[in-house]
Order: sequence, then structure tokens, then C-alpha cells
Amino acid sequence: MAVTELQPTVAILHSRVSETNPQGEVTRLLAEWSSGDQSALNKMMPLVYAELHRIARRAWSQQPHNNTLQPTALINEAYLKLANVENASFQDRCHFFAVACKAMRQILVNHAKSRLSEKRGYGMAHVSLDDVQPAVHQEAAEIVALHEALEALHAVDPRKSMVVEMRYFGGLSIEETAEAMGVSTRTVIRDWRLARSWLIREMNRESS
Amino acid sequence: MNLPASWEEIERLYHEALDLPPGERNALLARASPELRKEVESLLEADSEAGVLAAPPSHVVADLLDGQSSGLAPGERVADYEVESLISIGGMGEVYLARDAQGTPVALKILRRHLIVSAHAVDRFETEARAASALRHPNIVTVFQSGESPAGLFIAMEWVDGSTFRAIMNAGRVEIAQAMDWGGQAARALSAAHAAAILHRDIKPENVMLRKDGVVKILDFGLARDEGAVRPEPNSMGASGTISGTLSGTLLYMPPEILRGETATSASDMFSLGAVLYELTAGQHPFAGETLLDVFEAIECRPVAPIASLRPGVPPEADGLILRMLDRHPEGRPSAREVCDVLAGVSGPEKS
Repeated sequence: MAVTELQPTVAILHSRVSETNPQGEVTRLLAEWSSGDQSALNKMMPLVYAELHRIARRAWSQQPHNNTLQPTALINEAYLKLANVENASFQDRCHFFAVACKAMRQILVNHAKSRLSEKRGYGMAHVSLDDVQPAVHQEAAEIVALHEALEALHAVDPRKSMVVEMRYFGGLSIEETAEAMGVSTRTVIRDWRLARSWLIREMNRESS
Repeated sequence: MNLPASWEEIERLYHEALDLPPGERNALLARASPELRKEVESLLEADSEAGVLAAPPSHVVADLLDGQSSGLAPGERVADYEVESLISIGGMGEVYLARDAQGTPVALKILRRHLIVSAHAVDRFETEARAASALRHPNIVTVFQSGESPAGLFIAMEWVDGSTFRAIMNAGRVEIAQAMDWGGQAARALSAAHAAAILHRDIKPENVMLRKDGVVKILDFGLARDEGAVRPEPNSMGASGTISGTLSGTLLYMPPEILRGETATSASDMFSLGAVLYELTAGQHPFAGETLLDVFEAIECRPVAPIASLRPGVPPEADGLILRMLDRHPEGRPSAREVCDVLAGVSGPEKS
């Protein structure tokens, strides 16, 4: 009910995952991507997306009091599950993290949007709109605004938008981001700072 | 606009400026073209702002994870209960209509997972389970079971097929004799709780239900405590945090001693019940106000008009009793036992 918009998609993705062998599939797509096939990324997205969801649900039901569950932990586990770790190249690992952070961004943005539309359109009897969690809604609105500003940043400077995607949505550290992107930590630090300023400015403009 | 070229200039000047102490930045920026300077200045301004990127999106992540395991679908099981439908979502969780193994309906209250981050929420939830299960009374909702399930903490309790006092008042005027009878039943529940040294602390029309067969049931012992020092809740204005409109929060039913931060006693519950009975009978709240300050002032100083001035036909003993329940001084208020006795006297003859 909290994820009304998301759930049908996830259900479809789950069925696809179980019908195929996701590990072999992801390994093959990583190899294809490494050899220059850009469409491999798009094919990998739904597999990673579904796996992240599955891990999140299981992790939460096993450790309900684990409040520190981070996107990065989900992504690491998805990698171990989906990629053929022993044979995967360093390049494959970097590519996987790029896809996983993008998937994580999509998951969070979709969830934020469904939360916001739920608040507007809740038609259920007896349900008080005042009772929904304000902190979640405020953050959901920020995530959607950030997502849009990030699209605009991507047009100006794709690398900086990727740094934000990895650090904010993927929860990667500066070092992990640098490794996954194949740049120095100094570049990540500088990119992050400018991107942050730029995004805050854009979001302030949008809201004023 | 030649954006790509100027973006490089912006980037270079932005980092050069950041590398300098703030006092020396203006001299550097002054050498740039007006457009470039304007761009970089606005970015430096944003840099000093504590923006959304300062912290990870933890609320939404928690809510996402929560939404996966909570939000029960019909047919799902929690302990021995099978969920039938969602009844309400509150600040504290969700209430479902569910059935036990024998098919008997129960109200299943689930504490949503991401609220578990607050120790206060768990505390309140457990208090409710403990306090209510310690009390067996026909006018207090019965708790059957409580515990933890993959869906969250849960309390399974008696299903009350009926309406809250709030819904009844919204639907229209209440007969005086009925109000007296219901007030007597609620007072019997509080009398039993007080005899067990348990205070409810959150009596309001949302927490009192009338079952279809006419039996009154008090719900939500979530704020209940053994008698002793208590503090008003920080969010005592109610879930909405607003005081406009119907002012549906707890505040309107709070006695002055609690607003002042003093210790709650059984007399505090009597004040809250008095405010509910006044509203039920008179058709308006004794301390209604436009603003929070108005309400505070009314509770602390405004004289309460006799119900008879608003609703002719109220028995004088009942009118006097309810006004005494609203006495600003706890020691001036009647006990729950006394309220039962007086209301039994006024509602009794009409029934026979």
C-alpha cells in the first residue's frame, strides 16, 4: 500500500528474474558493456533494480531493528549475488556499481513520487492525511526536486551528476566513488562540492 | 549563450575562490567578467547553505524498506491472525480488521517499522499493550495478544463494531439521556483503571467508542502510566500539529495542571472526561478557541458556561457534576466513582 505505484513493476521484474538466470545474465551483460555495447546497460537495469528490492525486503525482515541499513550495503550484496565475482574484471565491478547506483536512484525517486501522489490522492475512508509522516514527505519532495535538478546537471556536466548519483543515491564513500568512476579522490571531492552548490542553487530557483 | 566554455571558467574560478580565505575572495572575483562573477558568487553562496545533500535520504530509504514489509494485504498473516482490511493509519501505526483462527474479528494494531527508530514509539506501544492487558473491564477494550512479527510490533485487541464519540458528535446532536449513560460507562472504566493505579492520560472523543449495542469502550492506553510523575507529550497538540479547524488534538482535553507541566493524577483523567461529556451534551467544546493561545487561556482562566445555558433540559445534578469535573484545581474534581454514582442517578429514572 505504501508502494502502490512501485509494486506492480517490481512483481513483473521479479518474475523475469526468476525465469532467467540473473547471475549469468548480469555477467554476460557486464562483458558486453565492457566490449562497447552501450545497450547492455539498459538491459542490466531491470535485473539490478529487482535484486536491490529483493535484498532490501529480506534484509529488513531479518534485521528489523537495523536502522543503519544503507543503500551501499544493498548494492554490495546485489553485486555479490548477481555478478560472477571470481571472474569479473575490475572494469566489470565499476560498471556494476554505476548501474546499481542508477537503479538505486530510480527506486528512491519512484518511491518518493508514489509517496507524494499517495498523499494527494488518498481516498481511503477513515485514513487521516494529517497522520502521514511529515519527515518522509519533506524528504520525498526534496528527492524528486533533486532528481530533476540532477537531470539538468547531467546536460551540463555528466561526470558531476554521476558523482552525486553514486554518493547520494548509492551511498558510496568518496573512495568508492573514485574507484568506481576511475578518477582520483580529489576529483570526486571537487566535483561533489561544485555539484552540490549548483544543485542547491537550481533547487532554490525552482522553489522561489 | 556559450555554456560549455563558460562552465569550465566557472568551475576553475569557483575552486580558486574556495581555496582562498573568505576575506580574499572578493579581490579574485573582481577580476572576472560580470557574468562569470555573478555565476560563481551564486554558487559560493549555495556552498555555504546546509542543503538537502548534507545527509543521506534516510527517511525515504527507511520508508521504502518499511513499505515493503508493512502495509499488509488481505490474507496476510500476523501471528495467528489473518488480515482482512485496513481500517486506519495513524501516527503510531496501522489498524487492521483481522480474524483469529476461529474466525472471530479482532483489531490488529501494527507499529510501522520505521517508527521503531524512536524508542518513544516502542515505549508507547508496549505501554498500551501492558496497561490494557492488565485491565479487564467491560468498558475497556480487551487486549488478546501482543508481540513481534515480521510485519512489526503488533497488538491484537477486541474488535469494537461501532463509532468513536468524535464520529457520533460529527453526525449530530446526542440525546441528553444517552450522553449521561455513556458518561457513566466511561467513568466506570476509569474507576476500574484508577483502582488499579493506572491513568489513561489521553481521554478524548477519538479514544472512546460506542459499540452498536450501546456499550462504551475506552481505547488507546498508549499514554497510560502508573500513577506518578508524568509530562505532557511534546506532540500533545495531536498528530496534525495544527490548532486550526476542529482542533482535534489532545490539547483541548488536557487539564491545566498538565499544561503547566505538573504531575498527572486520577483527577487529570476526570478533567478530560469532563471536557468530553460537556462537548457531548452541550454540543460545543468548553474551551474552544481560534488559536493555541486562546485555548490555553480558556483552559486556565475562562469560566465555563453551565451546559443548561446551551442545552436546556440537562439535569442540574449532571450539569453541576460536569462543571466540577472541569474544576481548574484537581482537588475540586469528583472521583470516577462519584461520577458513576451521580450519572447513574440521573440517567436511571429515564430508562425505567
